[in-house]
Amino acid sequence: MHLISAAGASPSLVLQLVVSGVVLGSFYALLGMSVSVIYSTTKVFHFAHAFVYTAAAYVALGTASVLGLPIVLAIVIGLIAAVVLGVTIELVVYRSMRRSGASSLGIFLASLGISIAGPNLIQIIFGPDGRNLPVGNPTLYTVGTVTFTTWDIVTVVVSWVLIGGVLAMRRSRWGLASIAVSANRELSAAVGISPQKIYVYAFAVGSLLIGSAAILFTLNQAATPNMGLQPVLFGFIATFLAGVGNQKTAPLAGFVLGMVVSLSGIWLSQTFQTAVIFGLLFVALIVRPQGIFRKAAV
Amino acid sequence: MEYYADIAIQIMFLMMLALSLNLLVGYTGETSMAQAAFYGIGAYTVGLLTMPVAVAGLEIATSSGVAGGAGWPFWPAVLISILVSAAVASAISIPALSRVRGEFLILMTLAFQLVTTQLMGSLTSITGGTFGLTPIPPMTFFGQSLIKPSQVVIVVGIATVLTFVFCYRLGESPFGRVLKGIREQETAVRAVGKGTVLPKVIVFGVAAGVAGLAGALNASYYQVAAPQSFNLDVSILAIAVVILGGVANPVGTVVAAILLGLLNPVLDALVGAEASAWRGVIYGLALVLVMRYRPQGLVPEHQGPLRFLRRRRRRNAPAVAAAATTRAPRDGAPDATPGAPGAVPSGPAPEVVLKVEGMSKSFGGIKAVSDATFDLTRGQITALVGPNGAGKTTLFNLITNAITPDQGAVTLNGTSITGLSISEIARRGMARSFQDGRLFERLSAIDNVAMAIPDQRAENPFILTVRPLYVKKRERAVRQSALECLQLVGMHADAETLVADLSYGDQKLVAIARLIATGADVLLLDEPTSGVDPSAVEHVIDVISDLRAAGKTICLVEHSVHMVERLADRAVFLDQGRVLAMGSMKELMARQDLKEIYFGA
Repeated sequence: MHLISAAGASPSLVLQLVVSGVVLGSFYALLGMSVSVIYSTTKVFHFAHAFVYTAAAYVALGTASVLGLPIVLAIVIGLIAAVVLGVTIELVVYRSMRRSGASSLGIFLASLGISIAGPNLIQIIFGPDGRNLPVGNPTLYTVGTVTFTTWDIVTVVVSWVLIGGVLAMRRSRWGLASIAVSANRELSAAVGISPQKIYVYAFAVGSLLIGSAAILFTLNQAATPNMGLQPVLFGFIATFLAGVGNQKTAPLAGFVLGMVVSLSGIWLSQTFQTAVIFGLLFVALIVRPQGIFRKAAV
Repeated sequence: MEYYADIAIQIMFLMMLALSLNLLVGYTGETSMAQAAFYGIGAYTVGLLTMPVAVAGLEIATSSGVAGGAGWPFWPAVLISILVSAAVASAISIPALSRVRGEFLILMTLAFQLVTTQLMGSLTSITGGTFGLTPIPPMTFFGQSLIKPSQVVIVVGIATVLTFVFCYRLGESPFGRVLKGIREQETAVRAVGKGTVLPKVIVFGVAAGVAGLAGALNASYYQVAAPQSFNLDVSILAIAVVILGGVANPVGTVVAAILLGLLNPVLDALVGAEASAWRGVIYGLALVLVMRYRPQGLVPEHQGPLRFLRRRRRRNAPAVAAAATTRAPRDGAPDATPGAPGAVPSGPAPEVVLKVEGMSKSFGGIKAVSDATFDLTRGQITALVGPNGAGKTTLFNLITNAITPDQGAVTLNGTSITGLSISEIARRGMARSFQDGRLFERLSAIDNVAMAIPDQRAENPFILTVRPLYVKKRERAVRQSALECLQLVGMHADAETLVADLSYGDQKLVAIARLIATGADVLLLDEPTSGVDPSAVEHVIDVISDLRAAGKTICLVEHSVHMVERLADRAVFLDQGRVLAMGSMKELMARQDLKEIYFGA
């Protein structure tokens, strides 16, 4: 097989990759936002987010195809399921662990357990094969040499509307309170903000976003029981590349990630996407100015 | 027979993988999601090395025409597999392990695991793609090829036992103690003068090497290396085994590997095709429940038959030197201080040991410390006093470079230590304690103190392996010194008690003993008596004045005026980050303006 395509990529290919980069980048931006909302506020390495993602897709396609509900209603139910699941995990697992003094590593491991048990349960119920959301085929648009579909437009619009919504909410009472909690939990509690409530709020919002991402994904592609792993990994990478606790830049980092992955298609075959992202993470960890450059500047 | 041997082999592979991972997760407190990737790298490496050169009809030739197999004999290939796994692991871990946040490592290893599985599946020309690299020659043992499970089980059994002994000994060695220290309190390990990045990178490599060995055996047993045997699920299964069994306890790992390993054949019989999904549900839920209700696992860290043996042996080993009775009266003999290189004789003219000049630090718009200049005189106790928020602890942090100052210079014994790391500063003779103790809670008092003893060559895992007798001897000496330090603070009777089980006051004493053990001449004590009950405060005061008598230079942050008056030769008065005055506490407290600042107008 050939790993590397011909060097002189045609302008139309590049243009097409830019357009897919925008779509993919918007999707990753949404993932980054979703992970960041939870991580920056609660500091929980919420790996079970992958299960929430999968659950949203399967609840939506289950209610649509098995119960035969209208697709829009099914999607709403899927999103509600995501929020309920995310909040339940926080309330039942994380909160009680925090109370009993569990370390962040301990909470991560519990989260990991959920992310294993959940998708396997889905596999037992629905089987291992891919399942599609019965939404029909999208319209194909062609502008010049570039093609895209209705779902591409929907992905971009929905992603940025949701991201914009979350960022706008940062100015609200809830938003300010969660910024306060993420900056200093104890002090916020002292001035009358309940970190418990803020955590639930963060999990609700983060779950809504990841559920939306799952639905957007299943518009285009089949849902599988372990579909959640990769998007959540990418969400975390975006969050960490943006700088932990920096909610505003997480979607931006996600967008850049998607763009780079898409454009790497000029040189690399698709199977190397994850490798490209890993490389980015690796390099960023090495060269990222964390104190080092600041010290040198003095 | 062969069926059971096969199950035993599968369980032992899981055991080896989990034992190796326990070194990371259990002892070091770092989670790797890529243990299966290193397992796989070992498998593929042995495959590529042992497969015969250019076998006809086998699609392993690369496009460049290089033959896939190297035709090596089995055991040299195993050795290389171990090394390759270890080297790859160390290389990818360095950037992640140099961060304090464990999440970086999780993320990095997770990404690495996914990439590796993907490459195993897609680099068809090297790896054979999804169906795997095959046929890999079977393992050989004394010239014989082993194919039947009943034969292989012996070799794998030996390897498992060796792995167990290796991991157990490494974990319980001085190196293991450093790893546990990193797990408990990474900053405290640095504060006693030890680097933490190198031990982490080494243990990461060692763990991957052991996984590589398991992988090499695996590939030779099944005669195939395929991506699905080394994917994320396998990594997570290994994590589950470690957690269920109990962290930092190889016995627990063995028990849990047997339990989870037996799930396979049981589930195969019960649910057939869906066995793997059910297994995922079961160990996933088990992980959640264990973390929620029994985070110490089935066999907790300080339990199990082997621990018991070790304890008993230890109890009669380092006999407490002198009066091992009560802790109350101690002979303040100056030369009893262990590890103090050349305790300075008292008498000569005051000598400046530490010079702090123009130290400044702002956080945002707030000047926490501004232009602080003072020095410490040899053999004296200098107290930093001032109201809450005056910048006393921040100043400690700046002097030891725990926080990087905006400006300022620190000179220790005439040489500049500005910008040196906290561990390097400790090695040069200035160590600090922390307001909140920062002890290694799940270690015994004596291990806490032993960690701080400098120049422990036995902490080097290489020496550990090649010179076990030397290490044993050296370790005995280290424990003896640690015991002496505990004796100085009157805590030797509790040497084997876990720090978490000690009272707060006793913990503070252990912290002081740990500080003494560093052998540093300059000791920075951050509120040594805060939270200690009044009866014990007297004891702490005695200990500190004994240290002065032993020639140590001490700087302490203290709130109690009474204590400062009794102990300190000199006080530096700080307010809002500035040094307002210096002198004896009496002189300072005689000044109305300072008194008002201190007690509030």
